[in-house]
Parts: sequence; structure tokens; C-alpha cells
Amino acid sequence: MKTAKQQGYSLCPKCHKVNHTTAEPIRCVRCHGLFYQRNRNSLQYTLAWNIAALLAFIPANYYPIMIIYSLGIPDESTILSGIGKFIEEGLYPIAVIIFTASIVVPLIKIIGLFVLAHKAYTGKRLKPDKHSKIYRVLEFLGPWSMLDVFVVALLVAVVELGFVTSVAAGPAINYFAMTVIFTMIAAHNFDSRLLWDKFKERND
Amino acid sequence: MLSERIVAENNQIIVCAQCDALYDRPELKQGQNAKCGCCGSILVERKVDWVNRSFYWSLTGLIMLFPATILPIMGVTLAGQYDDASLVECVLGLIDRGFFMIAILLFLFALAVPTVRLVGVFYIAYSFKFKRVKSSLLVFFRAFHHLDNWAMLNVFMLGIVVAGYKLIDDTELSINAGLIAYIFWMISATLAIQNLDQDEIWQALEQRFGER
Repeated sequence: MKTAKQQGYSLCPKCHKVNHTTAEPIRCVRCHGLFYQRNRNSLQYTLAWNIAALLAFIPANYYPIMIIYSLGIPDESTILSGIGKFIEEGLYPIAVIIFTASIVVPLIKIIGLFVLAHKAYTGKRLKPDKHSKIYRVLEFLGPWSMLDVFVVALLVAVVELGFVTSVAAGPAINYFAMTVIFTMIAAHNFDSRLLWDKFKERND
Repeated sequence: MLSERIVAENNQIIVCAQCDALYDRPELKQGQNAKCGCCGSILVERKVDWVNRSFYWSLTGLIMLFPATILPIMGVTLAGQYDDASLVECVLGLIDRGFFMIAILLFLFALAVPTVRLVGVFYIAYSFKFKRVKSSLLVFFRAFHHLDNWAMLNVFMLGIVVAGYKLIDDTELSINAGLIAYIFWMISATLAIQNLDQDEIWQALEQRFGER
């Protein structure tokens, strides 16, 4: 396999134009945007955003995400206790969806990106075809964790029946939203071509 | 003269954005796509009749935008009291009660970004359909790609379903016209963007406004 880097070409990430590699940053001849041959400091940025996401994930699970007032009595629930309530009520499909979207997906994303960054840096047991597929899945999953934020937003807005029942959002929702956005930025900063570069470097 | 030759030469090759593999540009018919033999991602795609399709889908989307955002999506009845909310009312209600962060997120990801993208697709398709391509479109189309990851209409749709499930047990839930309009809006917005032929747009723009 020939790569563009070996042949002295660089791909513009915006318009996908093949440019000749000149002094970085390269100005694309087609869309006139500036870019680098590989995302600059890709792994560092990925790690930094990832750590931020992991830190924000702690208060997101500790504080209540939603507070239901019925007849003025508050009933707080965190992400996990909310899922527990669904299971008690027998709403298994919803419990699975919420659990997947708000616990499994963010954790898989954070762990997965750590592993990918580690592999791209050290090159140990690196299978670039497999790992770049994992990366694509992680990138696709990103926005789906926003589900919980939207559910709470809808409930807060729709269920507002004065004293009888009303729903308020807990502080955790802000941290949770931060986690999701940070992992999305982290995935965006990761450059999957680094996996292939490392693989070649080790095999040559 | 030299740079013109380089431009022509560089269009004969394509590079995979995921793994940097280099290929000769394949001859594709409408509806075909080329996959990278190395990592399996799509290299280039020829869309069928993209100008008309994305033009009419985005037009549909723009028409559906108003009922989808202004009509109430769902309502609840509990102890004789009724309350409903549309997408815009959701955002305003959240601001009213002081939940600024989720109000901003809801506004951005479920309303503003999809709307801007839809208007963007409409503008691009309109320019190509009626041959009014300006050089500003180059910058516009480049900026357009910044929003790629941030439209979450489908996630919000799932959010509506989950919230509905949550409410259906304890309250009387009513699904309103806004939801149907919202579904149509989501479908037409997604299809409008799906039908954009990125490669062809860039090549057309390059022929007219590329560096000489």
C-alpha cells in the first residue's frame, strides 16, 4: 500500500483535495483553508479532552440528575437510581436504552480513546485495520449519549403542572453534558492515520 | 501554467482520509461509491441527481421547520390539568426556570445547528440548480463542514420516545401534531444532507475558483 505521506502528498481534511506537501501549515489549493498533514498534537489533545471528560463523569454520576416534585415533596434521582426505578417498574427496554446511552457509551468512548491513543503512541499489538474500525464506531456513538440530557430537558419542559407535579433538572445534567461534549471533541481530535503510520514504522 | 498541470494531476489520485492510502481516481457512475481496500471507509461517492434531490428535500425541510418547532410535540394530563410544550417552548421554559445550560444545549443541537445546516444545504443546492455559484460559496461550504457532528435531531427523537415512555405510566400522554411535523422535518433534513455530492461540489467549485 502506498500512502500519500510517502509520496509527498497531503490531504485537505475539509475538501479532501490532494495537495503537494509544502511547509506546514499547508494552504489548500482548492478551498484555501490551512491544514496540517496530520492533526497537530492529535494524541495530546485527545488525552487532555479525555481526562476532562472522565473528571466530569464523576460528578455526573454523584449528583442527582432529575428532581421530581409531587405535591411539593422532592424526589431526587441520579443516573443509576433512575435506571433502577425503570427496572423496578418493569420498563426493561427503556432501562436498557438509558443505561447504554448514559453509562456504557460514555465509558466505552473514554476507555476506547485512551486505548487507541496508547496504541498509536507505543504501537504495541497494533492492528490498524481493526483499531480504525473501532475509532469509527466511537465517533458514530458520540452524539447518542446526549439522549439523557434531552430526556430531562423534555420532562422539565412538559411536566409543569404547578403544585401537583413538576420536574426540575439536577446539577448532574450539566456535568453529564460536559462529559458528552468533551468526548466528542476528543474523538474529533484523534487522527486515525497515526495508527497506520505507527504500524508502518514498526514493520519497516 | 505549472500549477494548472499540478491541479489536473492531483485530481487523478484520491487519498483515504482514515488511513492515508493512495489510489487512482476510479470512474464512478451515479449511485456508485468506492471503498478503501485498506480500512473499508468510503473514499468517494457519486450521488444520484443530487442537485434536485437535495434542493427539494431541503425545501421540504424548511417548510416543515415551522410546524415542527412551533406546534406542541407532546402534552400531559394529570389530575385534570393539562400542559404541553413545543420545541421552542421547551427552550423558553428551561430558560424561565433557570436551567440555562440544558436550554442552550437543546437550542443548539436540536434547533439551531439543524436549521443552519438545512438553510446551508438549501443555499448550496439552489446555487447549483439555478447556476448562481459565487466564489463566496467556497468559504461557505468549507465552514459548513464544521457543523457536521453537531446536529442531533435523531437523538432528540429517541429522547421524545423515552420521555414518552416515562410519562405514559403515571399520566395521560397525548401526542400532538408537532411530533409528526418533527419526524418529517428530521427525515427531510437528513436526506437533504445525505444527498449532497461533496466531491462533485468541490470539483465544480475548484474549476471555477481554484488557484491559478
